[in-house]
Amino acid sequence: MTWISFVLIFISLIAFVIGQLLLKKGMELTSNAVPSRRHIALFIGGGIVAMTISFFLTLGLLQRFDLSYLYPFQGLSVILIAITAALTLREKLTLQLTIGALLISAGIVLVSLS
Amino acid sequence: MNHVRSASGFRNPWLQLALSVACVLVSELLLKRGASATANPNSAWSWTGIGGLASPLVWLAILFVIASFLSWLYVLKYIPLSIAFPLSRVVDVLVPLCCWILLGESISPRRWFGIGLVVIGLAIVAQPVAKLEERL
Repeated sequence: MTWISFVLIFISLIAFVIGQLLLKKGMELTSNAVPSRRHIALFIGGGIVAMTISFFLTLGLLQRFDLSYLYPFQGLSVILIAITAALTLREKLTLQLTIGALLISAGIVLVSLS
Repeated sequence: MNHVRSASGFRNPWLQLALSVACVLVSELLLKRGASATANPNSAWSWTGIGGLASPLVWLAILFVIASFLSWLYVLKYIPLSIAFPLSRVVDVLVPLCCWILLGESISPRRWFGIGLVVIGLAIVAQPVAKLEERL
């Protein structure tokens, strides 16, 4: 694996995390008493753009590496999303949830290192 | 968690979460098949993966991606991201297992250990959810 592959995996990961946060925010807005269609479209649209970038980068990486080797790098997204959702969306991050997310991330990283 | 409603049947967000995971799993396996069949590392644009669009399997995979996306949006409306997302990563256990069974890729002892950690982590995240559902 060359350094450029690592950079592409990293960009794909960050785009994925940002995408999830934008989608969640957009869907939360749909529950508002007076939903602003413009804001919802902005968040969901932004989320889709970020996810699309992540998708095509992943597709390109899949042409070079085994799926069972490459894909689990996304596992880091578990703890990243748990933390960023708590920071930006004010979700409750309990100790139990943090431990669970850490174990899932660690497990997926171990799977990816094999 | 007060915004998790006790919706029944197809509108149950937990069922939608399971559907979303199943669609992701199928799409990943199709993508690997399609991407391998169309791999051309000599092309200047190969790093974008755009060449993969030449494979019908990739297009079928995209349909599954869209289906998983729609059910995922529904999930996000009701379940906090910090709970729904870790649970959705059960797919990271299912993908290596299916690669092992269906694509003939190997699983080393370390990888099995990682799969075990993920399963324990999933159980820890899911536990308060199960308690909450019992009360509903």
